[in-house]
Amino acid sequence: MVAYRRRRRSFPRRKVCRFCADSNVKIDYKDPKLLKYFITERGKIIPRRISGNCARHQREITTAIKRARHIALMPYTTIQPH
Amino acid sequence: MRRYETLFIVTPDSSDEDLQAVADKFKGVITSMNGKIAAYDEQGKKSLAYNIKKQSKGHYVLMDYLGQADVVAELERNMRLDDRILKYLTVKLADQVDPDTVEEEKPKPRRAAETTDVSEEEDQSAEAQESEEEESLEEESEEE
Ligand SMILES: [Zn+2]
Repeated sequence: MVAYRRRRRSFPRRKVCRFCADSNVKIDYKDPKLLKYFITERGKIIPRRISGNCARHQREITTAIKRARHIALMPYTTIQPH
Repeated sequence: MRRYETLFIVTPDSSDEDLQAVADKFKGVITSMNGKIAAYDEQGKKSLAYNIKKQSKGHYVLMDYLGQADVVAELERNMRLDDRILKYLTVKLADQVDPDTVEEEKPKPRRAAETTDVSEEEDQSAEAQESEEEESLEEESEEE
C-alpha cells in the first residue's frame, strides 16, 4: 500500500494561545464571563484545535469549566433534561 | 497549614439574618477545628446555570481559610447536612502556609462595602489571594 499524506489545509491565521500571549489574564473557575468564550452554544468545551489554546492552558480552562459547572456558574448543557 | 477556599450556595429565600446565621455557623466550624478565616465574601444572589433542589437562584458565598485537611471534611459534612446549603465546592489554594503570614478576616458590619476604606482593603486581599493561587496551580486539587 502506498502511504500518502493527505495535506491538511493549513489555516493562514493560526491562533496563538491567548493566555500565553497575555499573562495578566487569570484562569479562574469563578469567572464564567471568561470561560464562556471556550464553550459552544450548547455548553460543550471547545477543543484546543479550534480555540488555539496551548495544552497547558487548555487543561486549566477545562478544569475551570468543570468546576464552574459543578457549582452552577456554568451549564452542563443548555438542553434542559425532561 | 493548608489554604482552601469553599464556594457555596445558600438557598435564595434566606433573609439577612439567615445569611448571618450561616456565616456564624460555618466560620465557627473552621475556628473550632483550629482553622483561621482569611476572608468571607458574600457575593450576592445569582441565577444558577441549572436548578438545584428546585431552586433557580441562590446566594453565593466564598470562604477563604487555613486549616488541616480534616477541616475540609468537617466543613463539608456540616454543609451536606444543612438544608440551607444547595451546593458547595472546595479548592485547595496552597499546601504549606504559615498562618502568621495570612491576615485574619476582620469582622465588619454587613453592607459596609460602599465605604472607600473597606473596599480598598478588599481589593488588596483579593490580589494577595490571586497571586497565591497562581503559585499553587500545579498542585491544586479538588476535594469533595
Ligand atoms: Zn498557553
